Amino acid sequence: MNAIEVSALTMSYGDREVLRGVDFEVASGEVFCLLGPNGAGKTTTVEILEGFRQRTSGTVTVLGMDPQAQPTKLRERIGIVLQECGFPRQARVKELIDCWRSYYPSPRATSDLLSVVELNEDKNTQVRKLSGGQRRRLDLALALAGDPDLIFLDEPTTGFDPESRRRCWEAIENLRTLGKTVLLTTHYLDEAERLADRVAILRDGQIQVAGTVRHVARQAGVPTRISFTAPQRLRDGDLTVPAGLNVKVTGEQAVCLSACTASASVALRELLTWCAENDLGDLDDLSVITPTLEDAYLQLVAGGAR
Amino acid sequence: MSRVVTLAARQALMEQRTFWRSAEYALFTFALPLALLLLIGSTTANGDLPGTHVEGQMIFVPSIIAFGVIVAAYVNLGAKLATLRHDGVLKRIRTTPLPASAYLAGVLGSTAATTLAITACIMAIGGFVFHAVPRASGLPEIAGGLILGVVCFGALGVALSSAARSAESAAPIANASYLPIAIMSGIFDPTFSVPRWLSAVVAVLPVRALAQILEQGYTPVEHASLADPFVLLAWTAAGCAFAAWRFRWH
Repeated sequence: MNAIEVSALTMSYGDREVLRGVDFEVASGEVFCLLGPNGAGKTTTVEILEGFRQRTSGTVTVLGMDPQAQPTKLRERIGIVLQECGFPRQARVKELIDCWRSYYPSPRATSDLLSVVELNEDKNTQVRKLSGGQRRRLDLALALAGDPDLIFLDEPTTGFDPESRRRCWEAIENLRTLGKTVLLTTHYLDEAERLADRVAILRDGQIQVAGTVRHVARQAGVPTRISFTAPQRLRDGDLTVPAGLNVKVTGEQAVCLSACTASASVALRELLTWCAENDLGDLDDLSVITPTLEDAYLQLVAGGAR
Repeated sequence: MSRVVTLAARQALMEQRTFWRSAEYALFTFALPLALLLLIGSTTANGDLPGTHVEGQMIFVPSIIAFGVIVAAYVNLGAKLATLRHDGVLKRIRTTPLPASAYLAGVLGSTAATTLAITACIMAIGGFVFHAVPRASGLPEIAGGLILGVVCFGALGVALSSAARSAESAAPIANASYLPIAIMSGIFDPTFSVPRWLSAVVAVLPVRALAQILEQGYTPVEHASLADPFVLLAWTAAGCAFAAWRFRWH
């Protein structure tokens, strides 16, 4: 069963069309990441899913409910981490968590929440005395207070130092092991690559591509890069590489450009065969670099390939 | 329904805890009406008001009770909600299934508790220092006035927080809107006289209406206006309508 199903979703503010037929789905238990440049419609999409905005047209189902028809019922089963959301400053950590738990029909245990976000030692600290990282973890604890099935995370690690970032990632991975569905928006592509089972890139109010990171990379047409240090004989021009491999030599480095993601292993086998046939021994610094999500994203979004 | 009441009560308790924890905030919420009570009260001449048989303090003390209600329910609640909105606390509340009615009722409940505590202090000081003690038969008027006053000025406070464009502007707007009216309503000086037309305007504003209801609890006033509770109710309705129209969670 899918946790989220969106089809032909449109949204206009007056004459301005922000979403122009968005379709995607998120399976239960999946970590799904929505990517896209600023102004692409990510926030609008998420706010429609959370029941904060009324869509112009299209069908939206979240946990089997229509968010705009049953916002309160839905909010009992979702958790939302928003960007830059304040706390009552004089409240203590545990007090605030207990207060939030009282809003939900079947909350998660307080001790459980405190340990998930590693705030056990600070449970009696007033919120105003917490550090930035601790506050972000409290954000997560409050979003999890109702033991939600689906969690929305809006740029959860913006402004984090590397250590806090790693901790937050661990907490999100922990949610996945608990079988929770997570919808993540982020600007950090490494974050999406590390956490997401599937990603979707939203651009100009439409989903440009959706799927696993591999799938997105393939769609973007970014090749796998095979490179090695060019042997002396190759540099001297005594040897030629089979034309099919399309090897380009620049100074000491040789890059095999033909290898698309699908045929990287074929290209590699061919390269090594050529290498053996010509008695080149080991190729120095041989590396196979699969395209990152960042490469694919930049190709799709900034590169202009519609 | 009972769930909303339970949630509202919990929220009120939470608000009270955090209110008293911010000692400075709590102290000055109390300090303003109490300081004015002592300062103005001790300089007001004892004796009957000119042309009446009414002891001046019997009017002044309940007027300051009304002032305390306004400070706690209108100024502080309005500024607090504006700050909570600015800080994104209201937005966060909105992400939970807590019904808006339960949240606002809780906040208002907490405001009522604070108001009650301020009122108790004013009545105690009024009694011990200025010998102004409410009549036994006037207690229903005082209780009724407090309830109407908290609800009316609370609603206006919520409206104020909705009207203020920023958290910073809420307090200045609150002060600029109630203080001149309070002075013209004779809150600080029962003998303060204003032109007839202005008096007519002040009569339909909620400040004097609340003060007069509370005065009834101290001394039977001949010019008692039956319209006062209705003035408060009308302003309550106006405050609620404006809040319903303009209240924002973020």
